[in-house]
Amino acid sequence: MDMNPAAVHDMLYALRDPAGLPFFPWAFWGVGILTFAMHFFAVAVMIGGAGVALYGVRQDNPYWRKLGYAMADVSKIAVSVAIVLGVAPLLAVQVYYDPMWYTSNVLSAYWVITFVLALIVAYSLHYVFYFRNKKREGTPKSLWSLGGALLGYLLVGFIMHSLGYQTLSPEKWLQWYAPNGVVDNSGTKLHDFNVIRYVFFILLSVPVIGTYLMAYATYWSTRKDQDAAYLEFAFTLGRKLAMVGAAITTTLAIVYLATLPEKLHAFQTSLWAALWVIGALLPALVAWRAGKAGYRCGYRPFIVAFVGMLLIAIAREMLRYYAVIPYYNFMDYKVNLDWFTTDVFLFTFLVLGFSTLGYLLTVVWKAGKTEGVYEASPIMHVWARFNIGLMVFWTAVYFLLMTIRSF
Amino acid sequence: MELISLYPTWYDPAMGSGYWIALIATIHVLFSHTSVGAAIFFAYLVNKAYREDRPELLEFVKKYGIFLLIFSYVMGSITGPGIWYSTTVGSPKGISALIHSFVWKWATEWVFFVIEVVGVYLVIYLVGKVDKRTHTYIAFIFAAASYATMMLILGILSFMMWPGSPEWFEKGGTLYSFFGQNTFAQLMIRTGFAMAVTAVVGSIIASAFKDDALKDEVLRKLAGFGLLGVSIMIGTYFWYVQTVPANALEVMHNRMPSWFAPAIIATFGLMLLYFIVALFNTRLLTPVIAGAMVVVITVLGLFPEEITRESMRKPYVAGQYVYSNQIIARDVPGMGIKAELPKVEKYGILKVHPFLPDNLRTVTAENKLAVGKQIAVVMCSNCHQVTKTEGIRPLTDYFGGETNVDRIKRYLKGTVVAGNIMYMPRIPLKEAELDALATYIAHLNGDNAKTLAAK
Repeated sequence: MDMNPAAVHDMLYALRDPAGLPFFPWAFWGVGILTFAMHFFAVAVMIGGAGVALYGVRQDNPYWRKLGYAMADVSKIAVSVAIVLGVAPLLAVQVYYDPMWYTSNVLSAYWVITFVLALIVAYSLHYVFYFRNKKREGTPKSLWSLGGALLGYLLVGFIMHSLGYQTLSPEKWLQWYAPNGVVDNSGTKLHDFNVIRYVFFILLSVPVIGTYLMAYATYWSTRKDQDAAYLEFAFTLGRKLAMVGAAITTTLAIVYLATLPEKLHAFQTSLWAALWVIGALLPALVAWRAGKAGYRCGYRPFIVAFVGMLLIAIAREMLRYYAVIPYYNFMDYKVNLDWFTTDVFLFTFLVLGFSTLGYLLTVVWKAGKTEGVYEASPIMHVWARFNIGLMVFWTAVYFLLMTIRSF
Repeated sequence: MELISLYPTWYDPAMGSGYWIALIATIHVLFSHTSVGAAIFFAYLVNKAYREDRPELLEFVKKYGIFLLIFSYVMGSITGPGIWYSTTVGSPKGISALIHSFVWKWATEWVFFVIEVVGVYLVIYLVGKVDKRTHTYIAFIFAAASYATMMLILGILSFMMWPGSPEWFEKGGTLYSFFGQNTFAQLMIRTGFAMAVTAVVGSIIASAFKDDALKDEVLRKLAGFGLLGVSIMIGTYFWYVQTVPANALEVMHNRMPSWFAPAIIATFGLMLLYFIVALFNTRLLTPVIAGAMVVVITVLGLFPEEITRESMRKPYVAGQYVYSNQIIARDVPGMGIKAELPKVEKYGILKVHPFLPDNLRTVTAENKLAVGKQIAVVMCSNCHQVTKTEGIRPLTDYFGGETNVDRIKRYLKGTVVAGNIMYMPRIPLKEAELDALATYIAHLNGDNAKTLAAK
């Protein structure tokens, strides 16, 4: 039997961390949404890339095969990006939805450990494929490793989906933990999941990898050593994937939203539900419009696909808000304002982080566009020295404070 | 109803949640320290390679870098969040305390981590594709970002043992919780370890080189780097032990398995020997020997060290205010945190725990055993196996096979209920709860006796 709302409210507020937050909850909420969108965009490239690779390397068509090997590499790097970017939303959710996140995890503890181990195995298998096919041509070797990696990614995706989905039903937790009054401390069960929602998020990888392929074709189009017919092939495939994939995910989004449980019926008619559908549809619209431009279509489809992901991330977070608002409002979390740590973060993120990452990504962008060795301009060297200067300054302040506070 | 902030408890009868945390943490410590040390070593080598026009040194950077991508950036970047996940299920209040105090520190570390990951790819894959100065700058940025991640995480790790300064309890804020002697000393020890382990892992790659001259040069450089690292570790260890609280030292000296200290000392000795051999006769090193040395460091050095570090902070898991059994043990006025022990004492754990079914909230003759088991799981299982006679510190080991409930109750009252054991939480149970727990322990001891008799 579900707990009554008052009891759920008392439980959730008791579980909240008494240390409070060092800044206002809306800031963490915003960071959580933005970084989830970035993380999941990388996840979509990772799964979509692995899917294209798995199909492509087995084809006799040389373009398919070339694209397959390229996407196997892209997918491998996307795993790394997804893991790195995934840290941020994981941090954020622990801050403002700590009662939900921690309870859901403890209730399925073995699956949480499995998530870590399975991701290590899957990513390692991806590297097995990479090392077995370093020439990136011919009949693929150890294809099972790429297939195993993809299956592993789908498994960890399902675990994460379930852990997130369990947070939406705090009224059921006690029944899951102690069914019929008998406590189950084993953590061996995943208690709740929604197949349509899971498939929706997984299949977002189809339109996203589609728009990625369109951007890929554009990027290489400025290099004279690239085969235009191959780029046209990648673009056409990408456009098709973007349109068909977005049509499928939009349909799934509508079905998912239409079948929400009774307590979420108010969400169905809200602006947020519309955002969810629009977010899913956007890649199809932009891919359709890019048709005339051909493989020099530019990066707009990829950027618009990210905007679509951001809309879905906002709507997803609002759905969680609707699900728990009868019991819990993260906006009234206690705040212990800590300007020191907030300022250090803002400086590191907005000044040092943006500048240094901007520099590194500019270098890699320009190096990729250059045939032969990329010679950086004097301005680029000044930018590099500025970034190193920022890091030296940051380190010096750290050790100054450490020395003052220690002695 | 008055509730306290206890989550459900995950109980793993095979290993215990503590060992899961230690296992993942040990792996992560190895990988993450290697990445930090290697980033610094790469910056040195890349700079040297371009200044002296020695492209073969870049080949080593590339080979070690690709090895590192898997060793540190596949395993390391997964086990990093993996520690969050394992502590989330094993010690949710402990990780919650750290997250809520240090969320911006972790976010700051994340910024550096992103730079570090982008940096490592660029250092490896842009060899020969960008001009020398640009590549050197990237190597410096990679090194600085990598070291910054360690500078940040160390303040959080130290807080698990001891807040940066005692003023934090009254004033709150990360300026007081983060910086302090313990953090500083630990940063130095870990800097030394990062250098030493980088040298050992790097020698797996370098010892496989076909070019003898290059092999000799790189192995000697690594050995020098490693020797410097071990020296820093040994030198700063004596500083570190002066910065930890007395009760932590007491646990370190008296409560750890007897093989830990000799194993750690032997690991230091072996590392010194390894680097000295590498300095004078590089031909003796092979990838197999280097790989074996990594295993020795992990099993005989890191694992006992991680277990010891976990144990030294007991009875607390974070900031000297969150007990290992997840109950908030003391007020922290600077953060507006109120102790939960008084509520437990006043109402009883069965009444204030949010995750107990109604049929276990009052002790009866019928449910006494089930209630006793849940009290054992909630209060003891973070550090003890509570269902079996083997595994991590089995509860039964502490009662000498006693099956008399009254005698067990008396023992519990004189020890944990009164809070008389320095490294264990105070567990102020109500009389009926104590009776249930004692009954469960007597039952366990009885089962144990039967099993022994049958054998």
